[in-house]
Amino acid sequence: MTEVSVGDEIPSWGMPRVERSRMRTMAAILRDPNPVHWDAKLVSTLPLGVGERTINQGPLGLSYMINMLHAWAGPTCVKRIFMTFPKIVLSEDAVTAKGVVTEIGPEGNVTCDIWLEREGVRLLEGNATIVFPEQG
Amino acid sequence: MDIPSEESVKKVIGHQFPGGEYLIAHWENFLLTECTGAQALPDGMAHPVALFHVPFLGANTSISEMFELGQASSEFSIGIESYEWEFYKPLMEEELYQISGSILEVERIVDEDGLFDRIKFQFDIRQDRQDIARSTITWHYNRGRYDRS
Repeated sequence: MTEVSVGDEIPSWGMPRVERSRMRTMAAILRDPNPVHWDAKLVSTLPLGVGERTINQGPLGLSYMINMLHAWAGPTCVKRIFMTFPKIVLSEDAVTAKGVVTEIGPEGNVTCDIWLEREGVRLLEGNATIVFPEQG
Repeated sequence: MDIPSEESVKKVIGHQFPGGEYLIAHWENFLLTECTGAQALPDGMAHPVALFHVPFLGANTSISEMFELGQASSEFSIGIESYEWEFYKPLMEEELYQISGSILEVERIVDEDGLFDRIKFQFDIRQDRQDIARSTITWHYNRGRYDRS
């Protein structure tokens, strides 16, 4: 297994610009009728104070953290992921997925705190259990 | 809009979705993965973010029906509390999965932000009786401000 210690920082993964076009494609795949993901004018009428922007789907924000974990530990690494959504991610945002190792468990399980931030503010927060692939 | 009674909302505890099968097509995984900003995964693996929509679509329900079951007043009244995804094996493109799902819990909560019902859904993905993945979705159905007096 790759040498990992409690307190290690996971290399961050950046989404330099959250695109509206990707939200529209995602809405179609999910069959998600919620217009907050594709109607910026409607979003501007809601009491959010975000102007004419669209709101990223929760799973897309989560996916940026999965991409970070894959880049670090490989595409089969994620065994469990738990995510909360204290703040929204908006179109045109630049966001960064980050994480830190909190526990090394039996059988090579590595537990990490993971989060997504915009200008230092945490938008999504959770944790994940991953396993590094066996090397042979 | 009138606030639905706690009793009427709790009637959905134990609700079983019809269940069914789902196959993640290559085109679907390609587009899904592109949405995340990642490159395609190797060997036909589906991006794990598929564990959001595959369970409820495969269980023959939809986001709209999940809103309706909780008596949401509108799409804007839903908040996400948490998603928990467990992977026992990677999800793969072009493989048929069997999916079941139900409503596990309903809890009415009053806090400083108002009144809401917290509803927990759980979906299981299997293939030939082998557990593949589990998705647990917890949403808040916001009912607006609440006068405690």
